[in-house]
Amino acid sequence: MMSFDQNAFLIIITASMIAISCGLLGVFMMLRKMSMTGDAISHAVLPGIVIGFLVSGTQRGLEVIIGAGILGILATLMIDWLRKKARVQLDASIGITFTLLFAIGIILISVFAYRVDLDQECVLYGEIAYLPIDLWISSSGQSFGPRIMWLAILNLLLVGGFIALFYKELKITSFDEKFGIVIGIPASAINLGLMSMVSYTTVSSFEAVGAILVVALLVVPPATAYLWTRDLRPLIQLTILTGVLVSVVGYYLAYLFDSSIAGMMVTVAGIIFFLSVIFTHKKFKFTLGTQKETQPFSS
Amino acid sequence: MIKQVENPILEIHDLTVSYDQSPVLWNVDLSLPAGKLIGILGPNGAGKSTLIKSVMGLVEPSSGYVKLFDQTLDAVRNRISYVPQRESVDWNFPASVLDVVLMGTYGKLGLFRRPGKKEKTLALDCLEKVGMTAFVHRQISELSGGQQQRVFIARALAQEADLYLMDEPFAGVDMNTEAAIFQLLQEMSAAGKTVVVVHHDIYSAVNYFDWFIMLNLHLVASGPKNEVVTEELLRKTYGGKLNLLSKVSELIRQKEFNPLKG
Repeated sequence: MMSFDQNAFLIIITASMIAISCGLLGVFMMLRKMSMTGDAISHAVLPGIVIGFLVSGTQRGLEVIIGAGILGILATLMIDWLRKKARVQLDASIGITFTLLFAIGIILISVFAYRVDLDQECVLYGEIAYLPIDLWISSSGQSFGPRIMWLAILNLLLVGGFIALFYKELKITSFDEKFGIVIGIPASAINLGLMSMVSYTTVSSFEAVGAILVVALLVVPPATAYLWTRDLRPLIQLTILTGVLVSVVGYYLAYLFDSSIAGMMVTVAGIIFFLSVIFTHKKFKFTLGTQKETQPFSS
Repeated sequence: MIKQVENPILEIHDLTVSYDQSPVLWNVDLSLPAGKLIGILGPNGAGKSTLIKSVMGLVEPSSGYVKLFDQTLDAVRNRISYVPQRESVDWNFPASVLDVVLMGTYGKLGLFRRPGKKEKTLALDCLEKVGMTAFVHRQISELSGGQQQRVFIARALAQEADLYLMDEPFAGVDMNTEAAIFQLLQEMSAAGKTVVVVHHDIYSAVNYFDWFIMLNLHLVASGPKNEVVTEELLRKTYGGKLNLLSKVSELIRQKEFNPLKG
């Protein structure tokens, strides 16, 4: 029943890399109480993808990634603007922004449907099972292996590099942004950098796991890890471990039930999360999502 | 009673700040001498925190400017330290006491460089000064309010600044901690540092500070203790809060504190 062939290996490795990239960014999104902003970005990039597609004529062009990146940042700025200038609640401004941008994306797809080889299904759900047959073939006809695997490698390198380079800045702006600004940390640049990384990761992982499931990988592994530790480094390590575990178990369960790999991965992530809640319920104090719970302070 | 000084360490010129059209600070114009322990007094909503935040560039003034060490803020960031209100952060953040204090060294480190041995020694030193040595590796979510406040002060010390601005460092802190922190602030000012503290308790303020800024949207007074702590100026600052004022008069009587004799 358990097979471990080359295809299984490639799929698990790729899924793990995507889960790690999302988890690394997700940790900082969670600590900034911005997990749902990640959700918003992953949907808001859709019009950027369609426009990039129309410009380049291919799903794989650089224009698609640039278009998505611009829309991701636009969504972040719009949420920020609605919250600060128009005084809309954060969760409401997220809801307004991403549904609007996502709807524009859907309209663009249907209007240009005859020119766009891109359907909502693919964008929303993705299918990592096709990975081994979608190869990166050079102009001389040489095959380098699955294209999506290479995208995931590049993505992981960039995300890992970003976090490693700006670890200190990300940490301080997540904990105490004002203090960061006061001591001269370019807080808004760091924030935009993080949002760009989330946008890019979303697009890069689209074909493999789809928009909805990217959100799960951004949110669930960090939230699970947070149940077990209150230290940043172990939190990141546990998030990575959870991401890999989710990929391996998710793949084999999908194989067993002959179902969607990405869907199974997220189900497994959810199950691991709830098991963690049960095992650590005494420590369960953190607020998920964007609501900031007021903590009673004792002196 | 606004006393301007020569060679001020901090100069605020005609500062007006408004939130949503409604002004929270009107035409504040003052200058502060170096090496003093300075208290900012005023009722709730008087603009005390806003004053500090506009000095730190966290609030955009509608008019006026601030000069520190006779320069703009950006030129002297490394010489200024800030202690925000304790409630301004989520203490459930995954970090240890040492992690937070190390953040005080980030400004001087600059981009890309990580804190090393030197920074760690400095941070431990600062924790010792606030009496938190026993808690170095404690998770910050497990600290009491007074301990959180001490961690914030240790972080400010780790900045090794010349001017310290502290927003309500005594809020929700027990008497022992208050006395310990205050003693530390006195040592700092004796060592030539300037410490500006937003404070809400007039009783202890009279004992603690040697220069006062009294604020109630307008600047009521700025000057040395013996010149500005008078019943008249306190009445002007706190307005019609009679209960409080009778207590103040009582306090002044009890302590036989007569500023006119001073």
